[in-house]
Amino acid sequence: MSRLKENYENSRYRRFMRWMNGEVDLLDGVTDVRIPEETEPAPAGHGAAGPVSSADKRRAALEARRKESEEIFGPEIWPQAASGEPIFDRRLTVFRGVYSVMSVILCAVIIWVFLWTTVHLPPFGGADNPANNEVPRRYIESGLAETGAVNFVTGMILDYRAFDTFGESCVLFIASCCVLVLLRIDPVDEHSRARVRKQQENDRVFEPKNDVILQKAAFILVPLILIFGIYIVLNGHLSPGGGFSGGAVLGSGLILYLNAFGFQKTERFFTEKVYRRVTLCALTFYCLAKSYSFFTGANHLESGIPLGTPGAILSSGLILPLNICVGLVVMCTMYAFYTLFRKGGM
Amino acid sequence: MTGGWIRFLAAAGLLLLGLFFEVLAVFGANRFKKALNRIHAAAMGDTLGILFVSLGLMVMRGFSMDSLKLFLVILFFWLASPVSGHMIARLEAMTNQNLGEIAVIRMEKEDREKAAGSGRPGGGDESLPDAAETGPEEKGKSGSGKGRKGAEK
Amino acid sequence: MIGQAYHYLLLGAMILLGVLIIVSIIRSVLGPGISDRVIAVNMIGTIIIMLIAILSLYRNESYLVDVCLIYAMISFLSVVVLCKVYTGVYLQRKNMKANLEAVEDNLQHQEEEVIVVEAEGQPEQKEEEAVR
Repeated sequence: MSRLKENYENSRYRRFMRWMNGEVDLLDGVTDVRIPEETEPAPAGHGAAGPVSSADKRRAALEARRKESEEIFGPEIWPQAASGEPIFDRRLTVFRGVYSVMSVILCAVIIWVFLWTTVHLPPFGGADNPANNEVPRRYIESGLAETGAVNFVTGMILDYRAFDTFGESCVLFIASCCVLVLLRIDPVDEHSRARVRKQQENDRVFEPKNDVILQKAAFILVPLILIFGIYIVLNGHLSPGGGFSGGAVLGSGLILYLNAFGFQKTERFFTEKVYRRVTLCALTFYCLAKSYSFFTGANHLESGIPLGTPGAILSSGLILPLNICVGLVVMCTMYAFYTLFRKGGM
Repeated sequence: MTGGWIRFLAAAGLLLLGLFFEVLAVFGANRFKKALNRIHAAAMGDTLGILFVSLGLMVMRGFSMDSLKLFLVILFFWLASPVSGHMIARLEAMTNQNLGEIAVIRMEKEDREKAAGSGRPGGGDESLPDAAETGPEEKGKSGSGKGRKGAEK
Repeated sequence: MIGQAYHYLLLGAMILLGVLIIVSIIRSVLGPGISDRVIAVNMIGTIIIMLIAILSLYRNESYLVDVCLIYAMISFLSVVVLCKVYTGVYLQRKNMKANLEAVEDNLQHQEEEVIVVEAEGQPEQKEEEAVR
């Protein structure tokens, strides 16, 4: 057994371990949102004088929160933690030691591998780089002729490699489904625990709402933003832009409308049903359109879609509808993330 | 002086004027001590700085699609940045503890008539700060009053 | 000659704006209080928009001005959302309530009396809370 120093709990190692295990919040008291130090005098609900120091307050708050979570979710896995004493389990100690050592080794190995790779990379844009083989040459030389898109980056991602872009749109959809599963607060029934929890999660009660200046400004600005977003989506094959960036701008326009006018007005035209239908229809249309292209291409048929004159809006075959689909999916995803993180639902 | 040089001088003048306003804005935002004063300085950069820099760039470009887009940038900024300044000022008024050090100018009609006696015009001298009302209580009242007023409409 | 003059003018302007951005970043870290940081972030956004516009002229690539416009919209939106969220967090932590009319704007009209679980010894409050 090693010799313990005096005042071991305040040594640097113990302070670091306390911070790492989450018992101490270094930012407590220096956060930006400062709460006034003087509170109201102790109310009639509690007999003795209220907790005086911040550490006591924190402990009381942790205790209260633990009690609430125990009500809702059941007893904790480590019953020793309820009393606040440190847990002396041999498996945990060994695991913590091994974990620290392994994590340091892993980080060092990854850093070394990255640095070594970066040093040995070929110069940027060199003519004999492995990336400049016959594939980009084909894209650059016959991109305009085969796809009809002046911006042949868009021609590449929505014509040559449209399947990958389909995967990306699906990833956006899956991501918002996962956030929905994790964050959604179900409609509350008579059950009191869930109602208490829902009420505590609802922090929008305290926000300032109906700011007149913001509403008047949003009245003018939201149409501008939406029109600009539509412009970016439609001009994907002529100038840099396309579905992804245009969808982001459209989503931010919707978020501005939501912030200015509140959830009730936005739910008049954008509910969960609308979200579901729009994303499903967009992805299904993308799938069907590209299936048609695969079918005709694989069987050496002529796809009947005209390429048009390069430089016009209605050109480059299927790229324009696919841009619109991708833009719609991205817009719905951005709006869904925002409302899910703010409200727990749509 | 050929036309090219005239255009260069005009564009350089406007650009340097815009940069001067932007330097003033950043300098002011760093030197002021209260957040509400900093909003004043930052707003100057947001409006005048962008205006002159964009005008200079538009002169450099001539009449083209880019100049139109830069003009749209100016338009958007002049509509949007006063609103963001208002939101920041509201945040400051609602969350700052030491706001009461700024003197609150408030003259009720009765106080005005009481203070001035007779024969005073309606929109009288409003530059006297009410020194008794500065302090945390007034800050609390003014903060929540602003919140209530803003939330009512 | 004129080309050289333009080149140096635009280059100098970009360097000056870069220095201003660094100063604003320092202010956003230092600023004692949340409003100072939001002001600094807003100013960084504005200076970046100017920088991108000058860059598009310097490089003679006309599509960068679209980026300016998009960034203007996004930075305005970010300031609006930040201010709302921080004010809400502050008021929530102070256990204040916004005006009831404003509350019912976002919630449905089903009134119930719910007793707030005591967290830190504050008195029991009755709230009109709408439940979905």
